[in-house]
Amino acid sequence: MSIRIEHPTLYKEGEPGPVLLAARCTACSRVSFPRQHFGCEACGAHGEAMAPAEIAARGTLLSFAAVRKQMGADIAAPFAIGEIRLDDGPVIRCTLDDALNEADLRAGQILVGRLAHNPKSGADVRELRFAPEGR
Amino acid sequence: MARALASFRPVFVAGIGLHPYQKYSMTAYVALGLAAVREALADAGARWGDVESAYVASAMLGMAPGRPMLRHLGASGLSITHVENASASGSSAFRLAAHEIASGQSDLVIAIGVDKPAMVELGVRQAGLDLLERDRVAAFTHFALLAQRYADAYGATPEDFARVAAKNLANGARNPYAQRREARSTEQILAATQLAGFLTSPQSCPIGEGAAAVILASEDGLKRLQLDRTRAVRVLSSASRSERLYDDEAGFDAALTEETVCDALRDAGVSPSALDIVELHDAFSVEELLYVERMGLCDPGDAPRRLKAGHFDIGGEVAVSASGGLIAMGHPLGPTGLGQIAEITRQLRGEAEGRQHAGAKTGLAHMVGLGAVCVAHVLQRDA
Repeated sequence: MSIRIEHPTLYKEGEPGPVLLAARCTACSRVSFPRQHFGCEACGAHGEAMAPAEIAARGTLLSFAAVRKQMGADIAAPFAIGEIRLDDGPVIRCTLDDALNEADLRAGQILVGRLAHNPKSGADVRELRFAPEGR
Repeated sequence: MARALASFRPVFVAGIGLHPYQKYSMTAYVALGLAAVREALADAGARWGDVESAYVASAMLGMAPGRPMLRHLGASGLSITHVENASASGSSAFRLAAHEIASGQSDLVIAIGVDKPAMVELGVRQAGLDLLERDRVAAFTHFALLAQRYADAYGATPEDFARVAAKNLANGARNPYAQRREARSTEQILAATQLAGFLTSPQSCPIGEGAAAVILASEDGLKRLQLDRTRAVRVLSSASRSERLYDDEAGFDAALTEETVCDALRDAGVSPSALDIVELHDAFSVEELLYVERMGLCDPGDAPRRLKAGHFDIGGEVAVSASGGLIAMGHPLGPTGLGQIAEITRQLRGEAEGRQHAGAKTGLAHMVGLGAVCVAHVLQRDA
């Protein structure tokens, strides 16, 4: 079965894991995620100066929260959100792997992204989730 | 060189009025706003016809709600300007009104906040970029992430966060304008509905409806209109900033607060230790701990100990959120920043019956809005 990516403008399959679709400013090197060419938040360079870049879905856990109140229709609470500083710079907030609980998480852990099935989506749909490296 | 507010002519708060904050009802926003305006006019001893300019703050009403409300006071032809700055809308309306007085353009200006809950699309969702977190990071999750970081950094416990709500709910129980008027124990707060991380529902502000109005005057205006100079409170400074890039990107709320409040205190010539009353953006309990530290009211990590010792109580070293704050007084968006000014004015006049912080002379108002933006004002009564 071929799979579909939940948000193809944000990430895609890669090796060894999924990659995030970002932009790197050719003037100051700051990485922007999501990818955009409106302008660099650090230096204001824009357009072609914002070069497409693929960055690793890997970073350091800054914080996390178990969400216990139902939010929206595309995921069932409880679920966990992690705040992650990617190795390439951007800070993102992303859903964590289903099997995790708060006891598994500590600030400073290295997390990596993987494409996971969301039971609320179609059987062939995969979305980005993060989990501690090696798990 | 740029000039601070105090380098222009003096600005005074001459009158305050509120419609109590409450849950959504069938009451028209016009009725909410008019109640606050009429109370402010009566408090100032001013006539509507003397008001030269109005700034109307709302974040959830539709386009141009000002004149359909204000015409019922008499269509005087005054200047009307609408202000939307997310949670800081009322604070920004007050800032604009203060500058209109300071510049000499007008002698009597009113800032009005009025709102009713409604579904409003956020600019960030219309900005043309997909968001990885989509709807999964609600405001309470954003602040739960900050609470977890604070706990990791300083060993704070769930009780430390809940204690903020316990203090502010106790204050709100003494404020007839507050939406939540029931004190709750730390244990009750911890046992309430869980939102995310450490945060339970009483540690999150209610977003309801209400109105707040503040009348600002110049010294000339006070004299010419024979308003009560002894009850007027001076606006010492006004600061407004937006988020920039910080080394600690995830902690932008606190970093922005530190910069903005630092500007406001510097321009006022006031040190943090001189503050008697602080009304801050406690939309979530963790914010109060973060902000009192970044405002310089105590050392980093020391807020839970001071809170527990009663330093931030009415009657403590500095009364923080004496109104009940956003957690108890409520956060109807447009009115909130002006409700803070009303509370500080009432406290500095010595008129906060039932919740007066004795000897209050200097106060700070602080709001953070989505974006993020931050607005701060320092007010002081004459000695």
